[in-house]
Amino acid sequence: MSELKVGIISCSGEECLGGTISRLATRIVLDELKMISTVTLCLPLYLAGGEEERNFAKVFPTIAVDGCDKLCVKRSTEKYSGKINGSIDVSKIIGKENALNTKTVRIKDLTEEHIPMVEEVASEIVKMIGSLPADSYSGKTFRGCSCGG
Amino acid sequence: MDKKVKVIPCSGIGKVYGLIAREAALKTVFDLLPEKSETMCLAYIVTGDKEAKEKIEGFDCITVDGCPKMCASKNVSLAGGNVIEEVKVLDTVKEHKGKKFGSPTQLDADGELVMDEIAAKIAKKINELN
Repeated sequence: MSELKVGIISCSGEECLGGTISRLATRIVLDELKMISTVTLCLPLYLAGGEEERNFAKVFPTIAVDGCDKLCVKRSTEKYSGKINGSIDVSKIIGKENALNTKTVRIKDLTEEHIPMVEEVASEIVKMIGSLPADSYSGKTFRGCSCGG
Repeated sequence: MDKKVKVIPCSGIGKVYGLIAREAALKTVFDLLPEKSETMCLAYIVTGDKEAKEKIEGFDCITVDGCPKMCASKNVSLAGGNVIEEVKVLDTVKEHKGKKFGSPTQLDADGELVMDEIAAKIAKKINELN
């Protein structure tokens, strides 16, 4: 039986809230979505030349989650692994002003008002996974993300 | 010319150590030394965009990595940043054997403790430069 896997790459942008929201939403999907095996591709490792990560994105459907409209993850992933299957711009979901908030970036600074933002982005990721053609998320050879960080 | 030291973490999303790196870098630039330090999105640095190049090439950077793959350091170097210090989260973690630090989304009390120690080390290094 072939594996059902989808890769999610999050920007984790350090300069603004959008990166924090993208990171948390991605983790929710990874930790809670049970029907399909989701794998996070560690972006820094991917960018630094991680062959497993780059090969994964070539073989399995991969979704980029970007915190702002610079779309760094989408552009980088397509540069090294070819066209991706989905792209989420968090700023379009939570609003550009929120996404580009440079004051509230740390996890400890998040408040109740940010929880719905995280949940909404996670919901969009799940919707995008659900919209992938069923035959697109099977693969047999990838051994998993090697990220240690 | 902007002479703030750039503190750039890996923000690895797979384990708690990436979060410790991220939070330590942010604590440094927000709380400890906002006048002397700043951060940049790692993903943006490596896009090769003109604006990103102008902000990173030749600038002094301290990288903070959550695992031995040293991805933040590698990426900053590839982008032309001048890595003056490589901070390794695991070096500090080793001093707290047996502790639980939290998850990739939330630091526990010991995770906060380690993060604070790392932020202090980064700040010390920056202060030594100035």
